[in-house]
Amino acid sequence: MQSRTSFFNGTLLRKNLTRFWPLWGMASFVGALFPLALVMELLRNRHFELTQIDLAGAYYSVASDVVPVLSLIYAVLCAMAVWNYLYGARSVSMMHAMPIRREGLLATGFLSGMAMMLIPYGVTGGLCVLVSLVTGAFSLKALLVTVLVVLGESFFYFATATFAAFLTGNLFAMPAIYLVLHFLEVILDSLFSVLAQGFLTGVAGSYSGALEWLSPTVYLENTVWIDRVVEERLVNQDPYSSYYDYVTTEIHLRGLWIVGVYVLVGVALLGLTYLLYRRRRSESAGDVVAAPWLRPVFRVVVTLLAALPGGMALYEIFWRSFQYSPYYQALPMAVCMCVAGLIGWYAAAMLLAKSLRVFRGSWKGAVAVMVCCAAVCAAMHTDVLGVAARVPNAEDVARIELRVAGNSYTLDAGKEDALIAQVVELHRAVVQDLDYLREKETERYNQAILQEDAERLGETTTWLWLKYTLANGQHLMRSYELFLTRERMAQAGTYDYLLDALVNGEAMKAVRLHDGDPDYTLTGGYVSTDLGGSYDLGSREAEAIAAAVRRDAANGTWGTYEWFDSSDAHDYAINMELTFEYQEQDSSGTSYTSTDWITIRVRPEMTETVDCLLRLGLVTKADLVTRAELYPEDYGYDAVQGEGDGAVLADENTSVAVVG
Amino acid sequence: MIEVKDLVKRFDGFAALDGATISVPAGSVYGLVGPNGAGKSTLIRHLTGIYRQDTGTVRMGGEDVWENTALKARVAAIPDDWYYFLQSTVRDMMRFYRGFYPRFSMERYEALKDVFRIEEKRMIRRLSKGMQKQVAFWLALCCMPDYLILDEPVDGLDPVMRRQVWSLVLGDVAQRGTTVLVSSHNLRELEDVCDHVGIMDHGKVLLERSLAQLQDTTVKLQVVFREDREVPPPEIPVLHASRIGRVHTLIMRMSAQEAEARLAAYDPLLVDAVPLTLEEIFIYELGGVDYAVKDIVL
Repeated sequence: MQSRTSFFNGTLLRKNLTRFWPLWGMASFVGALFPLALVMELLRNRHFELTQIDLAGAYYSVASDVVPVLSLIYAVLCAMAVWNYLYGARSVSMMHAMPIRREGLLATGFLSGMAMMLIPYGVTGGLCVLVSLVTGAFSLKALLVTVLVVLGESFFYFATATFAAFLTGNLFAMPAIYLVLHFLEVILDSLFSVLAQGFLTGVAGSYSGALEWLSPTVYLENTVWIDRVVEERLVNQDPYSSYYDYVTTEIHLRGLWIVGVYVLVGVALLGLTYLLYRRRRSESAGDVVAAPWLRPVFRVVVTLLAALPGGMALYEIFWRSFQYSPYYQALPMAVCMCVAGLIGWYAAAMLLAKSLRVFRGSWKGAVAVMVCCAAVCAAMHTDVLGVAARVPNAEDVARIELRVAGNSYTLDAGKEDALIAQVVELHRAVVQDLDYLREKETERYNQAILQEDAERLGETTTWLWLKYTLANGQHLMRSYELFLTRERMAQAGTYDYLLDALVNGEAMKAVRLHDGDPDYTLTGGYVSTDLGGSYDLGSREAEAIAAAVRRDAANGTWGTYEWFDSSDAHDYAINMELTFEYQEQDSSGTSYTSTDWITIRVRPEMTETVDCLLRLGLVTKADLVTRAELYPEDYGYDAVQGEGDGAVLADENTSVAVVG
Repeated sequence: MIEVKDLVKRFDGFAALDGATISVPAGSVYGLVGPNGAGKSTLIRHLTGIYRQDTGTVRMGGEDVWENTALKARVAAIPDDWYYFLQSTVRDMMRFYRGFYPRFSMERYEALKDVFRIEEKRMIRRLSKGMQKQVAFWLALCCMPDYLILDEPVDGLDPVMRRQVWSLVLGDVAQRGTTVLVSSHNLRELEDVCDHVGIMDHGKVLLERSLAQLQDTTVKLQVVFREDREVPPPEIPVLHASRIGRVHTLIMRMSAQEAEARLAAYDPLLVDAVPLTLEEIFIYELGGVDYAVKDIVL
């Protein structure tokens, strides 16, 4: 069959498909295993039911979670196969001597690759449709949506793989460049975040995700999600075994717009690839970078990827044990980064030149690398961008996740605005005292203050962890080790004061017990005593106990965190937990029932709770013994002293620990 | 007609072609010779549209070669290291070529089976180097090209097959007016098949003539001067001079008549013009650019 057009060649398409059939054949076989497994399950288990919604959920799960990752990997394999002729002098000469234009080779190669991408999906999808038709669970809408996602993502990933293929002339460099293209943002974001944590007080989180859309796989995984409409229904309406369960009544795949955007990006990349091919020199076969203008970019990227992790690794090896504070020292870090950066700079030069002789006449580039490394360290050390001091405005916050004083809280805008404002005010106060915190951290790092001395002087530390989700979707994470003193806690405006006001405020106590929160349902818990009794709580018992704890909180006998003494010596030897259930969505948007629980420490002054426990018969009067009385040796008392000190310590309030 | 004018191609600053100019008349067999690294293969890759020139023009039949599919459909090339798909048989490669070359002749393919006697279903990679070269010729000739570009084409072929292949190529030249450009170091063989020759060195074409013209304009003379003269007169332009006993061998770039007339002024005892081989022309021409065979004493 002779081609009539110079923009497409059927012979080449067929040749590509027949040459590389093991690749798409194996992928099709692996893909076909899933519907075949479903068939086996149907044959084995006659009662196995597959509803339309189940099937749609399965399709959407594959589309949102599996297709991006599979396409990412499979696209590069297809591209390596289809474009491998570019990487050998003999093969590129043969193909370019043929009577077909570069456009024709590009179009035909791209179509071949797309066919190789789609055949396995087609085989798998076709078999799935057959299975669903057999079971009567066929869902046309879910099928069409999934097909569109598969088509769009396959196109995008193969377009990026094709683009990467034309940036290089080396088969081994191609997947490396492809992966760097896809994950450079995540890698650099993580590296800079880790470096910033080493320099700046409070900066937490190893990844900000500010430009996550530049890492399509990560962004797709996080943006395309399954929206399930769930209803609580009575299941199995049998008087003996009926129960309520959450039943999915509707299911939708959300965030599909991003697939469309990436398809457009794929089209743009194809256009760029065409321009690259027009200018590509056949003699670049074997070169790590095929386009001469891209060589400086390659050197800069390799240098960055060497300087940041390499610099930090060298610092850990050679300088960590000499530093005098928990933070990086700018000068040694700059030296380490310069060394690692120079290694990267010259390694890139060697790869480009395919020679080890790259040192002569390259001192200007080396000096530039060293200047940049020193500038990065100086910028981090002086916090030029004001990262450490950044506190969002309360009105810009959509959600705050907070971990403090052994508890974790989630505060949502619209529901807990006053608490959000309090947290922001506390954060501002912490930021104002960053120098004080660094000074204290340095003192402790050098062991200038011994822990026993600190406690004697009325000082203690606590961790404050904050994660803001802003209204624009960005995240901001901070983590501080706060040094607290009684003196500062009594002084209005200090972070110590604001922290105490926040954590021991009535509103936070209510949040701790999910008081009045319709999203949380109290479902049960347990009570056990060290003297032997143990009971699982039903929802009604749990409700009664929670109401008693609320009354104690109102009386001021529960819920106050004692910063300077968290000992449980004067708690009753009673272990009690209340369990809540709530609906949550994972990163892909799938709803599921999650559990939260709260550990209640019962103290003698909690009269309402103690009465409730006695009334319900969960404890007896004999169980009302403190841990210090029960285990005097563990708390440094003998029995006589314990009784005497008990009166002193009995003033202290109960604390709570919640693990979500 | 193949016309290359002022062709320049640089690789990382190194000029592989530095203003090369050749002109191959239609229907001729043009031998491109030159030392290793002269730029012959680079020039051929421009002729087949593989490389794009930095400057200069590369034309065939008045058309630019670069990205000209209509023209390239009339050009067949056999590089010194012919590429084939690893798993392919002769028949697979035939189908591949047939899909690209509109004038691919199955009739000729079938006819040439008897010439090359290679099993179509054998993997090409399992064939010997010489047999692979035969496959390359087989397929290239079936493309019915107007232009045949050959780079070291008969390397690895046995003498009988060499003669057979040249016979087929020259048959095409005679019957279809195919223009052939062949690069080879086998000057003895080129002398038999070429009617035009170009000598390349350092990316330039030093000399380009028809073989007859070349042999006419360069002459080898054996001369015996009278006893009072031991060296050739300095005013005579000599490409190369050597002496055995009293017999001087002079290579001069002029016709035999002119050389004899100029030497006659020195009243030699003997002047005898002897035929010059292409190899000698190649060596003596390049001797002028420091490429003479050096007498090395170990």
